[in-house]
Amino acid sequence: MAWPGDRPARPRRPSDSITDLAALLAYVARGDEDAFATVYDRTSATVFGLVRRVLRDPAQSQEVTQEVMLDLWRTASRFDPGRATAMGWITMLAHRRAVDRVRSQQAAARREHGRPADGPDYDVVAEEVESHLDAERVRRCLDSLTELQRESVTLAYYSGYTYREVASLLGVAVGTVKTRMRDGLIRLRDCLGEQ
Amino acid sequence: MNRPWRSDPHTLAGAYALDALAEADQISFERHLTGCEACRQETDGLREAAGRLAAATAVAPPPALRAAVLAEAARTRQSVPPAGRARRSPTDRRITMMLPPRLAVAVAGFAMLLALAVGALTVNTAHRLGLADARGNQIAAVLSAPDATMMRAHASDGATATVVMSHAEHTLVLTTAALPALPEGRAYEVWVMGAGWAHPAGLLPAPHNGMTAPIVVPALGAGDRIGLTVEPSSGSAHPTGPPVIMLNLPA
Ligand SMILES: [Zn+2]
Repeated sequence: MAWPGDRPARPRRPSDSITDLAALLAYVARGDEDAFATVYDRTSATVFGLVRRVLRDPAQSQEVTQEVMLDLWRTASRFDPGRATAMGWITMLAHRRAVDRVRSQQAAARREHGRPADGPDYDVVAEEVESHLDAERVRRCLDSLTELQRESVTLAYYSGYTYREVASLLGVAVGTVKTRMRDGLIRLRDCLGEQ
Repeated sequence: MNRPWRSDPHTLAGAYALDALAEADQISFERHLTGCEACRQETDGLREAAGRLAAATAVAPPPALRAAVLAEAARTRQSVPPAGRARRSPTDRRITMMLPPRLAVAVAGFAMLLALAVGALTVNTAHRLGLADARGNQIAAVLSAPDATMMRAHASDGATATVVMSHAEHTLVLTTAALPALPEGRAYEVWVMGAGWAHPAGLLPAPHNGMTAPIVVPALGAGDRIGLTVEPSSGSAHPTGPPVIMLNLPA
């Protein structure tokens, strides 16, 4: 595989032919820049899309995506294939960064305005879903949750709210939201696993 | 574990997997995770399910970002691989001290940093700080970094952990004072901790005059935490007890 740019041609490395993301991460952990470029190509849309979904601001989303990718580069050796899939680990890095950013910025605004103008925006999520098979599955599985499960899960994941905030947004008890998040994810996991 | 919890911590697995815990809740749940294999496995599985939600929002970033990211990576030093990955063995709870992490951040002048280092140094290590070896060089690099920041975590019994950290170097230097003495065969182990993981960062040397010589902890990321636990003096691959001191690094 040849990358555009000023890098001189050099012999193919093992990472050039590797398609498994977890194996690529092992090369990234050893400082293989080509493997990192491949990982970027494979995951940047997922990372950027998620970050943008949480932050909404495109410029900041680019900034945070860059931070996530550099986290990935720097800490690839911490990826433990026994505990997560490579994509699961990468989305975790992305989600944490995005949530940290949105919480530090929106804390003040949320305190002032109470319920945010954007509210539960599952419909927007549905609209953004591409025809991609994975996306279709996710949407179908989200549809299989109860409304309260779905709202609890999507407000937390796509909008970065804490479970306490979700409880006050939805006007239900904190304990209920906690339980719905867990039940919802279990149902989501089972549904995605079946397909 | 027999601790009386305000509410059942196991029910927080879903919220944790969604990153929906506020910081205080998150810290206490992660503490719980270090001792509860059932919750660890459940959160791993739920986090995986949550991560799949990202498939529904994928959007390609602007093409220019790629070159910027690759160029930045080329000049960014990587973390060293973690020393061990064996599964943590179930609990060994000899330490019951549970201390509220308290963070005092001060931008320290060079003189202060030096005082800190020299204060905790033995003659031998001070000699090494004369830049004779790699470790001395690392310590000097952190202490003299333009962005060096000093933080101190206090335990209620007067023990302190003092850290000088350089973000630019992704490295910190850690010293401690007045930690309780340990029985034969036990030592304080240092951990770099994050969401559901903890990597060993070395054992504290035996104290002199109540203070331990500085140790270097490299490969830090924004938002990592530094924790100290009591372990067998040969060291553990994963923490086996609650942290004696925890220190949040600034993001
Ligand atoms: Zn548990």
